Amino acid sequence: MAKIILNNQEVETREGIPVLQAALEAGLNVPHYCYHPGLSVVASCRLCLMEMKMPHPKTGELGWAPKLMPSCQTPVRDGMEVRFDSDKVHENQERCMEFFLLNHPLDCPVCDQAGECHLQDYSYHFGKSESRMVDQKHVTPKKDVGPRTLLYSDRCVMCSRCVRFCDEVAGTGELCITNRGSKAEIDAFPGKPLANPMQGNVVDICPVGCLLDKDFLFQQRVWFLKSADSICTGCSTGCSIRIDQNEDHVHRLKPRFNPRVNQWWMCDEGRFGFKYIHDKNRLTRLKLRRGESFESLRWESLAETVRYRFEDVAKKQSDKKIAVVLSPFMACEEAWLLVKTIREVAPEATLVLGPVPTVEQDERFPVGATNGDTKFIIRKEKCPNRNGIELIIKHFGGNTETFDAFVEQAGAGEFAAAWISGGYPTEWVSKDFAKAAGKIPFKVVHDLFGSALTDEATLVIPACSFAERDGTFVNATGVVQPFARAIKPPQGCKRDGQFFYELAELEGLYQSPTVLGMMAAEIDEFKEVYVPPQLPEHQH
Amino acid sequence: MSEYEKVLLKNVGKPNSRQLATYVEGGGYSGAKRALEHTPDDVIDVVKRANLRGRGGAGFPAGVKWTFLPKDREVTYLCVNADESEPPTFSNRVLMEEDPHQLLEGILIAGYATQATVAYLYMRAEFTEQYHIMQKAIDEAYEAGYFGKNILNSGYSLECYIHRGAGAYVCGEETGLIESLEGKRGWPRIKPPFPAIQGAFGKPTVVNNVETLANLPHIVNRGADWFLGIGPEGSSGPKLFCISGAVKKPGCYEGAMDFSVRELIESDRFGGGMRDGLKVKAVMPGGISMGILTADELDMKMDFSDPAKYGLLGLGTASAIVIDDRTDIRQVLRNVARFFAHESCGQCTQCREGTSWMYKMTNRVERGLGRMQDIELLGEIPAKMGMMPGLSICGLSDGAAFAISTIVEKFRSELEDYVRNENDDAVRIALEIAN
Amino acid sequence: MAWKAIDRVNAPAEESPSLSEPLKEKIRGFFDRYPTKRAVLIPALHMIQDDHGYVGWKAMEEVAELLEITPSDVFDTVSFYSHFWTHPKGEKVVMACRSISCDLLGADRVLDECKKVLGIGDHETTPDGKYSLMTEECLAACDHGPCLMINEKMHKCVDPANVRKILEDDANDKLDIPRSNLYDGANRTSA
Ligand SMILES: Cc1cc2nc3c(=O)[nH]c(=O)nc-3n(C[C@H](O)[C@H](O)[C@H](O)COP(=O)(O)O)c2cc1C
Ligand code: SF4
Ligand code: SF4
Ligand code: FES
Ligand code: FES
Repeated sequence: MAKIILNNQEVETREGIPVLQAALEAGLNVPHYCYHPGLSVVASCRLCLMEMKMPHPKTGELGWAPKLMPSCQTPVRDGMEVRFDSDKVHENQERCMEFFLLNHPLDCPVCDQAGECHLQDYSYHFGKSESRMVDQKHVTPKKDVGPRTLLYSDRCVMCSRCVRFCDEVAGTGELCITNRGSKAEIDAFPGKPLANPMQGNVVDICPVGCLLDKDFLFQQRVWFLKSADSICTGCSTGCSIRIDQNEDHVHRLKPRFNPRVNQWWMCDEGRFGFKYIHDKNRLTRLKLRRGESFESLRWESLAETVRYRFEDVAKKQSDKKIAVVLSPFMACEEAWLLVKTIREVAPEATLVLGPVPTVEQDERFPVGATNGDTKFIIRKEKCPNRNGIELIIKHFGGNTETFDAFVEQAGAGEFAAAWISGGYPTEWVSKDFAKAAGKIPFKVVHDLFGSALTDEATLVIPACSFAERDGTFVNATGVVQPFARAIKPPQGCKRDGQFFYELAELEGLYQSPTVLGMMAAEIDEFKEVYVPPQLPEHQH
Repeated sequence: MSEYEKVLLKNVGKPNSRQLATYVEGGGYSGAKRALEHTPDDVIDVVKRANLRGRGGAGFPAGVKWTFLPKDREVTYLCVNADESEPPTFSNRVLMEEDPHQLLEGILIAGYATQATVAYLYMRAEFTEQYHIMQKAIDEAYEAGYFGKNILNSGYSLECYIHRGAGAYVCGEETGLIESLEGKRGWPRIKPPFPAIQGAFGKPTVVNNVETLANLPHIVNRGADWFLGIGPEGSSGPKLFCISGAVKKPGCYEGAMDFSVRELIESDRFGGGMRDGLKVKAVMPGGISMGILTADELDMKMDFSDPAKYGLLGLGTASAIVIDDRTDIRQVLRNVARFFAHESCGQCTQCREGTSWMYKMTNRVERGLGRMQDIELLGEIPAKMGMMPGLSICGLSDGAAFAISTIVEKFRSELEDYVRNENDDAVRIALEIAN
Repeated sequence: MAWKAIDRVNAPAEESPSLSEPLKEKIRGFFDRYPTKRAVLIPALHMIQDDHGYVGWKAMEEVAELLEITPSDVFDTVSFYSHFWTHPKGEKVVMACRSISCDLLGADRVLDECKKVLGIGDHETTPDGKYSLMTEECLAACDHGPCLMINEKMHKCVDPANVRKILEDDANDKLDIPRSNLYDGANRTSA
């Protein structure tokens, strides 16, 4: 803890953090470009300068030092006094903004960043509206720096954040600075483009419209976007993300600051892995088998149908087993409601954790990092909630089975009925599994896409994607994190949480916090949910 | 101006002055031998007492700088700054070309005093002949046991390597030099940490100029009092001065820091007066970065303290360009502005954008397309750049600021005469036609 | 893409020379001078430029591998310094000083004469590949301005009237002192 005087007011902060960080945390709008808390300090944009009281070199008397100081480079010391509200500070900010715009093409009308650009914002807050330069501007080229990313050199403010990200966080170092002085540019070596698995972050941290995402290019004016705070489902790291959507169409995912999980970053796999949400082939019809074909079922009849049929099987075929296959893509709440329901009507039901898609190994960053210096991990488990589902299964106890054992037993005809939840973004039903499932006479299949399973199901329930759902996931390190819904489910679908809620015969609308509360009363792990702190308003 | 016996340049003009044998014959390497017989702290002490101020431009006392090195260090690097790129400076060239062993002896003494393990002689790429001369001298010195392991049986070891630059003025700045030595672009580093604590390869490092080090053999041999006895207080010791431009005898000269710019131009010991009957219009007496003097300011003393009284940044490299009365001040202004725009490393906003904008303006002003507002801006922009007001990482932009602002201030009326009738629209139209 | 953008995704189409084994060996010879391999980069670039005449993409990539850094690190460093050429230059580079002393002593007339005699502009190369021309800042020989440097050789007090003679002299880049070949490429035979 340290107390400093900031613009004449006493502020509590932490010893040793940059004064800029302390000022931003105190709510001040201090303009800055090169500083990023996740990167090394270079203090080169000279925009964040402040005044600081120092002892006079001769008399020792404390007074405002004649020099401005970079607040990003100056650590907080207990008792120090600084200010950002003086004419001298404002004058520097105004001058810098004029400089940044000297050679800028002023092409905001066609720039993707417009609306979330710190050149626009700062010019508005700290700059002047007129350039005093009549001379020709430097013209610098656009560059195709990577398969996913474009660089508009002429909009660059040379903060070098992107270069430092590639060097220090990704550890791949694809980006560099070329030339010097006002001819300096960001560049990549030809044939060695920006393509590391975390490269999308450079677009996020570029404070201006210089680095842009080809995927998002010219898709949306950002001011039309509405966002929801979610969790990435790409792997078990569980990065905090923001889903940006307009009219129920997801346009992009952005990482959200989360000091316990992903810091400021996310990987490309997660960032761009959401396209399946809007796949035309998604299941959108609740349907019940009648002989060889299906007929639509009304959502209102779902609860009754499910409860009745499982109860019926449990009673009439007590020599056979009933399975509930839970997906590691389900929210904890959804799984809890489902198990609760089925176990009510079929207390002996066997709980099974569905397949956990896994690749060879975790990817650590910076590339080559070992435990101590790891800044980010893309985990080998390509689903968000194995840990959460395992908690639920453990809690309910009773009959449980691994997926492999379940498949084997189902193949041997031991199961009379099964609820199978999928929700995997890619094909997940193996031939063996499909074959074994063929031996289960009564199957409820709850999934995003059609498969051999749905073809043979008794009841097909269209599932919702993570962007349409809310609840909590438990990540690889055991952090319990809530995620919110961003868009409405497609026509014909119903939010999973809602129908699970109805299945459990609970009154009213599904609210994940309410269900979480009920779970927490029974399961200690859910008593503490982690919601990362908001970044200070003016931090970027 | 006192009588003066040459010290640093005493071997210049001697036959075979570059050869080790010649140097040793004249008493060379006796300073180093003497130093090796004392403790490193003794050597630091005598240099500190002599108040040897750095000759590279900033004038920081060398002995004091060495004491900033942490006590418990294991590795220390010595970087010898031979990047000499400040127009119009060439004294290091003369020292290396004419008397390479004097510098090497200085390197050995500084290395010993700081307990350096390796000395890197950072030479600008354009020093070609000088590079070959220095490399030859280093080879000779190694052979004679002045470098390498266990030098002269003292138990002290020092390697000495030349590291050639590749064309960038900013690599003369000590941390730019260190970055360049490490194989990177010469972007000066933010301080702290200072090189003495964390310099080359993250280790404690001392950076000294060639001329600073060339003084060391003499200080060690003759003592601090001898050194203090030369020149005025605070500016003691032998010093090299360069003079070029419209004088009869352009060149590099040695003296005490006890004479004026006028004497530097007029004296037969130095510039020998103006050539072809020209008159002085202006002088940039310390390298262009320090700023300009008018013909009325030639009484400025070439020492460490007087330049500030004339609105200059400092003594700099004590290298004067004498500008004659036929010269259009716009040419000087444009030339100087171009230099800094070309050499700005580009990390600090004010320097990167300010220098290039000023160059564009001065270029236009020279072409007769200036505006009154340009003159205003050329006064305003420099006032708001540089390391001194805290606005940049290195001193290059202070140099740009002083060079340009003193020209604009001191020659304002001449500049205004050229642009008085211009207005913005006329400029825009003229530019469109011209470009 | 509908507009032009410089392509960094694909490897450059143009051919450029590789580092020969002797050159690599010469570069490795510098390793024990520095505590990091990266520090050998600038010496290596000098040697490469001496051998190849310039530092091409291929050479950048290969020297990066040799020094265990990324090609973009090399690109970054190469482009910062005015001494290195990233495209082929002439056998001899004529560097005309344009800083203040030389400028006031008529450097522009010397430069104009060079352009006229060689028939090329700044940073251009004659069609026969013999000469490239560039301007440089102060060459630290201001007492003898205007200065022209041709490769390693400094020409002092150059009179525009003599430029043709200088440029026509085959030995205009030869030094008359013993050279060190430490920074030369591996291909250079004369020492
Ligand atoms: C832009 C810039 C260029 C510089 N160029 C040189 C140079 O070429 N040679 C030099 O010795 N010092 C140069 N300096 C000064 C060095 O930073 C440093 O102060 C000096 O090498 C220290 O040596 P000294 O204390 O022996 O003078 C330069 C400084 C700046 C800001
Ligand atoms: S591209 Fe963006 S992040 Fe990179 S230096 Fe330029 S402004 Fe900064
Ligand atoms: S002041 Fe200029 S030269 Fe110095 S570090 Fe900043 S931009 Fe580079
Ligand atoms: S200098 Fe502090 S944010 Fe850039
Ligand atoms: S100005 Fe030309 S060599 Fe110095």
